[in-house]
Amino acid sequence: MSREYATNDWYPVADAARMIPGHGFTTRLLGEPLEVSGSFENPVVTARDGRMLPVQVRYGHVWTTTGSAPRPLFDIAEADETDRTFVPCGAVQVRCSPLRAVENFLDIAHFPFVHTGILGEEPHTQVAPYKVEIREDADEVWATQIGFHQPQAAKSATEAIETRYEYRVPAPTTAVLYKTCPPKPEAWDVIAIFVQPVAEDMCIAWPWMALYDDVSPYADLVQFQQEIFLQDRSILENQKPTLLPLDPRMEIPTRCDLTSVVYRRWLKRKGATYGALTTAA
Amino acid sequence: MTSVAVGLSRDLAAKRVMRAEVQGYDIAVWRDENGGLHAWNNRCPHRGMRLSHGFVRDGHLACLYHGWHFRKDGGCAYIPAHPELEPPETISATVFSITENAGVIWVSATDTAKAPAEDGEWEPLRSLSFACPPEKVRHAIENTPFAGQLPERAASGHLTAGSTALLVHCAPLGDAETLAHLLVAAGTSLAGRKALSRWCETARESAEAGPA
Repeated sequence: MSREYATNDWYPVADAARMIPGHGFTTRLLGEPLEVSGSFENPVVTARDGRMLPVQVRYGHVWTTTGSAPRPLFDIAEADETDRTFVPCGAVQVRCSPLRAVENFLDIAHFPFVHTGILGEEPHTQVAPYKVEIREDADEVWATQIGFHQPQAAKSATEAIETRYEYRVPAPTTAVLYKTCPPKPEAWDVIAIFVQPVAEDMCIAWPWMALYDDVSPYADLVQFQQEIFLQDRSILENQKPTLLPLDPRMEIPTRCDLTSVVYRRWLKRKGATYGALTTAA
Repeated sequence: MTSVAVGLSRDLAAKRVMRAEVQGYDIAVWRDENGGLHAWNNRCPHRGMRLSHGFVRDGHLACLYHGWHFRKDGGCAYIPAHPELEPPETISATVFSITENAGVIWVSATDTAKAPAEDGEWEPLRSLSFACPPEKVRHAIENTPFAGQLPERAASGHLTAGSTALLVHCAPLGDAETLAHLLVAAGTSLAGRKALSRWCETARESAEAGPA
């Protein structure tokens, strides 16, 4: 339940391209109201007490932090590759813990059942062994050597393929997916989920993509991602408890859940427990 | 009597799943392909997903999230991500007691479910939700005239009004809502059933309008 760790991370609060001068709005972060205003070039985020919070525009979003000693925002190198198409996918508000939203993003075993016909389909349900590690130098969780049969791995996919995946968790409320790019198999498409922790039991997911796809219209790319996130929301709002349990006795993992097991362990070790249950209910 | 009426038998077909609340527990109720009923804690032991969103296949209830199959005894039978794996016996849904009688499904979260013995033959009318607790539902139903006269409560518990009869089973949902399951005397005409249904809606307006 600790807010202390959480206050020193950076969080997305707006799609930068959709900032309209003179049309500020209120949102919430870590349970506190914020005012977001200004423009793409000069966004302004104000706390309830009138304090102007630090701001940066990165990965298509406006980021802020409420803490006194913020950790640096993680780096996604592909954001600087100018031949990619960058696609902010809007916002999906979900009544669940921000950590549950990240954990779901790291999970492939649900694809055949929740994203049927798109990211997976029966009988291709098997999850082969893969590798998970905490990279101590960067303090990140990485899952690598993942492969999965996908009917339509991306908007640009024309047939089912064996997709390769790598997952990276650079911060408790962010997950980055590197996945086979259907039209350019030697490269990775990058799909990230930036999660704004509105409260411990409420979050806004801001999906963002850096793709090699210069064919699909922007609206189609967003539609593809939104459909997938809305399917996930129907799961996330029906998990009990709403907070992510860190006590290993509360939920039973199997072999394919290794990423989740390491993610939970990493959160617990860091004390990154905003949105988590730390004792058995 | 700790059993709670969770629904009308007619409304839960074979291979269907529904959600119920019993004594504060969130429950998944499902009917297998042979008509057998099952009531489980509404939580998959894997990731906490509500099993009431799941699907019935191969005589099992499967969780919608990752497709884990659970046998009728609650034990995990199959994990699709690892088709060759024999799931450990420790993975199990929590099973509650369930029964059905005279067209009504009864669940207990604390002991063996028992259905009350009913006097006479009954047919399901409908289930109706009320935004008030069961006491107010009962009070409103007994004090709403049907065809010009107040219904009378028979010794066995059902209500009679003229030549018609109504059996009401109330299940509380939280502190402020009720799900009422309504049955009519077998053989009641369609016109009679419609009139009783409208009368219950009138009683609901009165129950929900009354002082808190």
